[in-house]
Amino acid sequence: MNPIDPRVHQALDGEISPDSLPPELRRQVERLESAAALLVRVPSLEGVERRVMAIIARPAPTRLRRLTRWLVTPHSLVLRVRPVWSVALAAVAVLFAIIPVRETGVRLGREEGVAQFVARFPGAQSVAVVGSFNDWAPGSIPMEDRDHDGVWRASVVLPAGTHEYMFVVDGERWVADPLAGRYVADDFGRENSLLIVRPAHR
Amino acid sequence: MKRAALLLTLVMAVPTAPHALRAQSVRARLEGRVPASSIPAIDSLIHEAGREGLPTDLLVQKAIEGGAKHVSGERIVKAIELNIDQLRRAQTLLVSAGDMPPVTPSEVAAVVWARKRGLDSATVTRIVSAIPDDRRAAALHAVADLVFHQFQADSATDLILTAVREGMHGGRLLDVSYAAVQEIQRGHTRPEALAMVERQLPNVPTQPPPAKSTLERARRPIAASHTESVTP
Repeated sequence: MNPIDPRVHQALDGEISPDSLPPELRRQVERLESAAALLVRVPSLEGVERRVMAIIARPAPTRLRRLTRWLVTPHSLVLRVRPVWSVALAAVAVLFAIIPVRETGVRLGREEGVAQFVARFPGAQSVAVVGSFNDWAPGSIPMEDRDHDGVWRASVVLPAGTHEYMFVVDGERWVADPLAGRYVADDFGRENSLLIVRPAHR
Repeated sequence: MKRAALLLTLVMAVPTAPHALRAQSVRARLEGRVPASSIPAIDSLIHEAGREGLPTDLLVQKAIEGGAKHVSGERIVKAIELNIDQLRRAQTLLVSAGDMPPVTPSEVAAVVWARKRGLDSATVTRIVSAIPDDRRAAALHAVADLVFHQFQADSATDLILTAVREGMHGGRLLDVSYAAVQEIQRGHTRPEALAMVERQLPNVPTQPPPAKSTLERARRPIAASHTESVTP
């Protein structure tokens, strides 16, 4: 930036007459005065102000409108995934689609519990639980011996409370549960085992 | 005239309808399950018991049990008569202990089981008088469990009634008797076992709820029917 001669300042401030200046400084003063005249003639800002105030006063767009605007506006999404993870995710999705959902058992009512029956009958072909909970009907609660070790098991949902029961071996031999620990006379000359089922949801 | 006769028939039929339905349901449940010749006698006994306010479902169950065990009709009838007598005695015991008739079927059944399990009537009366609500069934079973393991009936009753006073009820009372039996198996004498468990009250170990794997394996009986049950 060129320094301005102090005489130019004085002439602009009216302290000396421009005519007393040398011709090149006089031209400089004239250029500066014409530039100042241009600045004085700045157009009115009244229209701009009105437009700005109108925009400010406009109510803010609703959330739905903003969402709509966002949805229709093009965006660029950059997803950086390693190919190995893509393959693993695809494999998991395929497994979920192929493998059936496992049975998760029965839903227990508020006044229900689960009774576990276990008995050892080596060589038996079938064992069933009969009792007051199934009208003493063999076949409604079959026991299982999956590993053929002579130990038969059954897990049964029963109403909470007291029940009398027996085992029926091979469809004809009625036997009290030797592990029951509670017995009552059956009034037919034998003993029934007694089972107390506690509610599962305590 | 015809309309009036029809109306009169309907009016007379309405009060007797429940009895008729009950009669039908008892016979329907027995048919094919007990010897046919014994059904009228059993049916008659069960209806008589029902009129006395005794729990008839236990009697129907007993008849079905006899049929399933291939017992003769005559023996089934005798067993029903015996059961009615037991139920009647239980009802009398409950009323004499302070219960207002009609006593609930589950209460009567609980007393019958307690008596059948070897508790004498004095012990049962003591428990029933001390616990005037439906916590009795579990208390009776808990005492019977202890008596079954050769504990003195009085001492066993003392322990269970103390547990009740400590706020324990239902299945937790069975935990108390189980804890006492566990102490015997650890080598303690019966009085020692009772004293040890009494000191622990009410914090005796609780039986854990069934494991998730057990619940997953559990199945409902095929064609299970309603049974008279007593919640401990």
